[in-house]
Amino acid sequence: MITQDYLKSISKSKKPFVIYKSNKGFDLYTNFSKKIILTNKNIHNFINKISKNRSKNKNTDLYIGFFGYEILNNLIGIKPPKQKGLKFPKGIFYKPEIKVSLTNKLNYINEDLKALNNDFKININKKSYNKIFSKFKKKIKSGQTYQIKICTKYRNKSKIDPIDFFCRLSETNLAPEAFLIKDKEFSIVSCSPENLITKKGNYISTKPIAGTLKKTKKFNKIKALNFFNKNIKETKEHNMIVDMERSDLSKICTPGSVKIVKKKIIEEYRDLYHYVSLVAGKLKRNTSTLDIIRSMMPGGSVIGCPKISTLNLLNAQERESRNIYTGSFGYIKFNGDMRFNIIIRAILNYKEYSEISVASGVVIDSNSSHEFSENYIKAKALMDLYK
Amino acid sequence: MIYIIDHDDSFTHNVVHQFAKFDDIECDNFNEINQKKLNKAKVIVFSPGPGAPKDYPYSSKIYNKFKKKKKIIGICLGFQQILHSENAKIIEQNKIYHGFQSEVKVTSNNSLFKKNKKFKVGRYHSLKLKEPFYAKNFEITMRCAISNVAMAIENNKDKIYGFQFHPESFLTENGNLLIKKILSA
Repeated sequence: MITQDYLKSISKSKKPFVIYKSNKGFDLYTNFSKKIILTNKNIHNFINKISKNRSKNKNTDLYIGFFGYEILNNLIGIKPPKQKGLKFPKGIFYKPEIKVSLTNKLNYINEDLKALNNDFKININKKSYNKIFSKFKKKIKSGQTYQIKICTKYRNKSKIDPIDFFCRLSETNLAPEAFLIKDKEFSIVSCSPENLITKKGNYISTKPIAGTLKKTKKFNKIKALNFFNKNIKETKEHNMIVDMERSDLSKICTPGSVKIVKKKIIEEYRDLYHYVSLVAGKLKRNTSTLDIIRSMMPGGSVIGCPKISTLNLLNAQERESRNIYTGSFGYIKFNGDMRFNIIIRAILNYKEYSEISVASGVVIDSNSSHEFSENYIKAKALMDLYK
Repeated sequence: MIYIIDHDDSFTHNVVHQFAKFDDIECDNFNEINQKKLNKAKVIVFSPGPGAPKDYPYSSKIYNKFKKKKKIIGICLGFQQILHSENAKIIEQNKIYHGFQSEVKVTSNNSLFKKNKKFKVGRYHSLKLKEPFYAKNFEITMRCAISNVAMAIENNKDKIYGFQFHPESFLTENGNLLIKKILSA
């Protein structure tokens, strides 16, 4: 069936489904035979049991879903204090029975669309943001963190058609880690650009992004590279993330195998340039899925550095739960292979509330007003969908 | 065997892999120290980490206990940990280098490394050694080529070495060679 008709029919059927960007287009997973809502009690068992499934060769022999930020903290022994916000599940995984390949062109028209509420409220105003910012700069001066990413949230009340959102988003921004989850009581629409884990056999890689530039006539790929290479602040932030990802991989890889495969290159997307590195290694024998997840998640580039101390600082500061934001979406195959992204540039729609979280980094030479408006620009790309 | 004490850092496993080129490695968190491994180790390495040396009193205890008995190496916070245990003051610096590649220079005749040699290193430190600093048999052997901040200490008599920069960073030229030299010293 062609993509357009398929999307229409699955929307009508009201079946839950997941779409994940593939190399050539998108993969759609549906007909879920199991849905696992993760808790601190069942998560270990869930992850450990995946590889015990006998069937390993079908293209649906996998679990697909997400880990929220909080449960990833818990997995590495960090307990954020009780936070406000939507009481959204800590993580959900599905066992699909059908996988369908879709093209890159996702045409979908919903004739019954109603005008949406496009008025968003921010949870931290500029004044409070400045305060938090200078507080963290002091922490940098005293060495407790070298880079920390403050999360702000934009929220409104609205009932969205997530398929419509996802298709329009993919049209303007065909992100390599984009995904959509549509379930009965919630949906997640994301144009994440960042791959956190690609694992095939004993090969593992991660592809951190630190540095994003909006495309304008002024820039081409080479000029964008020059911009980043000359910008000391961006370069330092990126270097830090590369060393941190090398170390995270080194925990689970054989000594000497961790290599920077691509060092500080530019990747070009329809609207953006990303400053990207690719770090890869060879897994130690008998490394479990849980070992990999605990070493790599939550992804360092959206937290800051060093990870543990920075997470503790963030959790003491942030009053509202990050929910899905800076968690990871992806799949774990029954043969142990996996692919996970970092959940950023995402809309969580739950109980008719939409939540868009964004973050930008405080390093020693960053500027509070600049980062505050940078956050707004990041959120605006998603808020524009409500118009 | 080399015992690496991890101060909850996000660079520690780069250190582990770098030292693993030369010997067997054990690595534990600073609050989960294994006495058997500690006693068995030929070399103790204090890893980088967040905060200041005063936050890790147990690491200073280990230093004091094994000084002159085992080779001791400190990196970044570990370097400061050694100095702090030798009664140095560790202070905030005005200009901070995180993820910065800068040039250091060998400034001493008594170094394992050739005097006046310059090379590029990766730096991640908020704090620095307050000078003047004096401790028996210790010498500052490398400095930042621009700011003159202390970048390495050597005590070749008691086999104690420290780097303020990160030899394991991808930003450091010849980091493996540095480690090889102090391990064979």
